[in-house]
Amino acid sequence: MDNSVLPAIDIDRLQVSYGSQQVLHGVSLSVAPGEFIAILGSSGCGKTTLLRTVAGFQKASGGAIRLFGRDVVDVPPEKRGMAMMFQSYALWPHMTVLGNVGYGLRLRGVSKDEIRSRVAAILKMLNLSGLEDRKVTNLSGGQRQRVALGRALAIEPEILLLDEPLSNLDAKVRIQLRSEIKALQARLGFTAIHVTHDREEAMTMADRIVVMDAGRIAQMGSPKEVYDQPSSPFVASFMGAENTIELDIRATGQEREIWTRDGRSVPFSGPVPTGAVTAYFRDDVASLDAPDARIEGSIVLPGRITQRTYPGGHYRYVVAIDDRHFTVTDDRYHDVDRPVGLRLPVASLHLFPSDYAKGGIHA
Amino acid sequence: MARPSFFGLLLIAPALAMIGVLFLYPLGFSLSSAVTGPGGELSFAAFQKAYELYSTDILFTLFIVIVSTLLTALCSIAIAGILTLSETPWLVAILRSLYRWPLFIPFIVAAQCMRTFLAKNGLMNNSLVALGLMEPIQATSFLDWRGIIITFVWKQVPFVTLMLAGAMASIDRATIEAGRNLGASRLRVLIELVLPQVAQTLLVGLVLSFVTMLSVLSVPMMVAGSQPTMLTVDMAFRINSYGDYATANALGVISYVIAGTVAWIYLRHNVKREAQI
Repeated sequence: MDNSVLPAIDIDRLQVSYGSQQVLHGVSLSVAPGEFIAILGSSGCGKTTLLRTVAGFQKASGGAIRLFGRDVVDVPPEKRGMAMMFQSYALWPHMTVLGNVGYGLRLRGVSKDEIRSRVAAILKMLNLSGLEDRKVTNLSGGQRQRVALGRALAIEPEILLLDEPLSNLDAKVRIQLRSEIKALQARLGFTAIHVTHDREEAMTMADRIVVMDAGRIAQMGSPKEVYDQPSSPFVASFMGAENTIELDIRATGQEREIWTRDGRSVPFSGPVPTGAVTAYFRDDVASLDAPDARIEGSIVLPGRITQRTYPGGHYRYVVAIDDRHFTVTDDRYHDVDRPVGLRLPVASLHLFPSDYAKGGIHA
Repeated sequence: MARPSFFGLLLIAPALAMIGVLFLYPLGFSLSSAVTGPGGELSFAAFQKAYELYSTDILFTLFIVIVSTLLTALCSIAIAGILTLSETPWLVAILRSLYRWPLFIPFIVAAQCMRTFLAKNGLMNNSLVALGLMEPIQATSFLDWRGIIITFVWKQVPFVTLMLAGAMASIDRATIEAGRNLGASRLRVLIELVLPQVAQTLLVGLVLSFVTMLSVLSVPMMVAGSQPTMLTVDMAFRINSYGDYATANALGVISYVIAGTVAWIYLRHNVKREAQI
């Protein structure tokens, strides 16, 4: 069979249950060879279960998993031929770096000398040269996870599974390893599935993001697509649009307008049906203006600044409008307790019919 | 603490006194009486006599205890390995509920059960004959060294398994999964990845089992015939039949030395490990 045509991983209506509790409700996902997929979701959404089922540590109760066309649902994990990285590093504490990285090669009957030279090449690639005979318990967290990456890559896998491998590392090492993994993936061309709850990590590493919610895929697409055009209130708030405001879309003759609850309106043209809507927006699309400003294409809501913080680069404000609070980032300095206008560009709002929103917010 | 306080000493005094009266004094007494001649002088006559009469039994005891310890290790590793790595839930459930029972059965009861189980016309042979696996004429009694080993292993496996399965359950599960993920069969995972991580616990369990088996009187006395037999039986015999405390004490000292050697191996290994970490 020609590997270039078949998907590297083809997950077809996969169902998984823990006892009577169903965790995955028919997940379908196709991953092309060489693609880097990030599965994003809050804890308990089934993302780790999905990865573990692909690896073979969790039994599927229905559906199929095909690796380059080969159905592996009933194949034990050791015969699936993929490599995995774990959150806890999962290095073997009784072995040296050489023992850990070379173990997969040893299992494949590679001679001792060749293992040594191949491990040396991998350690060089990971900037760990000369650490062959070090005990893994004497390494730092970042070095350990690099050894785990080396151990996974030593067998030259076609598929690499990453189970939140970076979440135990401190911020600086995490960002460094992120780009190292991404660079290695581009160079070696393996297919990767990366499970994470870190949005930024998923956005920066993946070619395609899969957002999961309660055992189902909520949305998949390129990072930009998922970020800019969330398909549901859940995805919108998970991607950071955590401010919500109730609006109305009314039709007057041919024209449609979007109305705030206190009676301001702006012309609106969009695919959202007429009726009550909930708008989701990120704090960086909103900005601060004069309370009575009128700006083309934007809603301006009068409010008052109740809090100001400086996280670096810009200010972050909390604006109170009636009894609601919104977070907004703005470059300019404003005094606390000052009346302001919260400016919302209509084109940047994620609008969903209000009855949709009621069942859908988890984050 | 810079200086032990008087009050602290007072607190541990009862415990110290118990150790002194119940352990150190009898130990010292038996040691000294083993090297004391009939006239009160220093003498190794008791050791010489013990060696002349019981050198075969010393070797027999070593053989029984070492073989039993090794078999116990094998069985415990197998059971704990299945408990940890098996993917067949009913097998794990059955094994988990069954394997601990022998822990609650005293050695003397176990020995009694084995007498009826392992005899020439015992339950084991009868079952094998009934199953057609053996001709009645082939039936032999296992009530000899094999019986002792079977009883010891049956009695000690649950103890070591309990410790070992606990240790295996507490290692990072991901280290097992990482091995299987790279292509290691479950047997290789057990031997190459799991066992080295719990070796310390296995060693402790085996040392404790070794010393326990060395000191059991009822099993060799009830299960096997009189010759050759284990040192515990010889000691009891010297005392009960002859009132020969000197030789019995000499045999006791030999037992201490055997147990002490094993404890020393364990301690040395332990110190080496700690020095590494």
